[in-house]
Amino acid sequence: MKTWKKLLLMAASLYLVTLLILSLAWMKHLHLAAGWKTVWSVELEHKARISPEAHNATLKKKLKSLQPKGFYIVIDSAENRLYLKKDGVTLKEAVVSTGSGLVLEDPNGQRKWVFDTPKGEFFVKSKIQNPYWVKPDWAFIEENEPIPKRIEDRIEAGVLGDYALGFGQGYFIHGTLYTRLLGRNVTHGCVRVADKDLEEVFKASKIGTRIYIY
Amino acid sequence: MKSFCKEKERRPGERHCCLKVIWTVILLLAILFLTEGFSLVWANLQNKTLMSISGKDGQVQKTETATFSLGGQKQAGSGSKSGLKAQPEATRPLTKAQPSTPAGPAASYLKSTPETMIEILKENRFLEEELKLARNSQYYFVLNLKEKTLELRARGLLLKSWKASKLLYSGKPVPLKVTTLTFKSALKPPERKVIKPGEAQGNSGPQQALTRESEPQKKGEKEKKKTDQNQPASSTVDKFEVEALEITDMPGSFELHFDDGLRIYVRSKSGLGERFRQTRELALWYLWYPVRQLLFPKAEQKPRLFLFFEEKRQAQGIYWSFIDGIKGLIWFP
Repeated sequence: MKTWKKLLLMAASLYLVTLLILSLAWMKHLHLAAGWKTVWSVELEHKARISPEAHNATLKKKLKSLQPKGFYIVIDSAENRLYLKKDGVTLKEAVVSTGSGLVLEDPNGQRKWVFDTPKGEFFVKSKIQNPYWVKPDWAFIEENEPIPKRIEDRIEAGVLGDYALGFGQGYFIHGTLYTRLLGRNVTHGCVRVADKDLEEVFKASKIGTRIYIY
Repeated sequence: MKSFCKEKERRPGERHCCLKVIWTVILLLAILFLTEGFSLVWANLQNKTLMSISGKDGQVQKTETATFSLGGQKQAGSGSKSGLKAQPEATRPLTKAQPSTPAGPAASYLKSTPETMIEILKENRFLEEELKLARNSQYYFVLNLKEKTLELRARGLLLKSWKASKLLYSGKPVPLKVTTLTFKSALKPPERKVIKPGEAQGNSGPQQALTRESEPQKKGEKEKKKTDQNQPASSTVDKFEVEALEITDMPGSFELHFDDGLRIYVRSKSGLGERFRQTRELALWYLWYPVRQLLFPKAEQKPRLFLFFEEKRQAQGIYWSFIDGIKGLIWFP
């Protein structure tokens, strides 16, 4: 047989083998892919006397009972948005500022602060009108100023707006003078809201109102 | 074959016998492949339940079969096959059958059960798992493979949802149980900037990046701006940059690694380089992964999911919200 015919035969054989492998592989792959849609477990209790439909209704009821009743607040720290919701319906949407994510290191090397807005479920623990700010240590360290010994030297009024909602660990939802920076991640962890929006949220909330931050 | 071909006289221009045979075989294989593929697709469209109950260690527990005995209960509807539309309040005694191996009697039990009941049982399983997550204060995720949606939930409430434009999965199917994110990996993970007050104070010109609540009184209500270290501070208020970790700093393509070996690859349209990488991954997914599954069936095939999003911001939002340790569920309703 001539050389070119041999080469052609080899190429054809190689093509054939490749096609065979690919076709078999894809058949197996499709079977496995179908398994993704159907694999699940069946686990029935020994003394189950409840029908699946009743069990389904019970489970849905239990899930619903965990959900907040009344108003609740949802904060999207990525998009810097606050939503006041009730029964899953958004009643108010506000542009906010959340934590910057920066890290402050104490020059003495002993302490470190990460300015993140915490994520998770929280509760309104305090409601304050005309709050004043008691500056923590990092506020002075950041400015390279000495940390005052008297508490009176830490107090600053008028910078937290007209309202503040505390949700624990020193974090607040409060007003701001920096309305131009709303929508950006610029705070030290607190959530800054424009005073007009915060008024509505403040009035709707009460102690124990849930706050979800993600 | 050679002798056979030799006996026959070829007409001028006619192909060699061997080539005819080869082409015929190729054609037959192609027809076989297409037929098999179409039949599988058709089977999926018909929603025929292919029972694949995996009985490995923690995935599916005791697959004890149970039979529903309808007894004397009336069936709702006009004698339809899905006769289990009886009133939900009516209890049906569940008789526990003998414990069985996953594949045999369990599959036959499920085959005899109407599809609606299977759907309810499946949903019950999902709800049981979700209830475990909803009892915690931390939010969790639910990945719906059918709807191609990734949802953030807390206490059963929907917080945020992302819809993928494309979803691919390969490897061993993921069981319907809680999975935990171990870590995230990206080509360019975001880095937190560190403020060092002593160093910043030493430079003349550049100002602090962050705005502080107490600044207006001290600086005459002038807003702070961020500048580069070598550039002088600008006095214009409208143009400013904020030195912070924001959603735009998050990567548009990354991987999520879970404790059960699952890997979710999140991809978005984010530049030419990314397109090359995605093309390579798609080629691997369509060519190499199936061949590897065929050649190495006994090797553990780690489950892999590819989520493609149209907008980069969607992927960035997922990276932002998926904190290490977040738990969730993946299922196909």
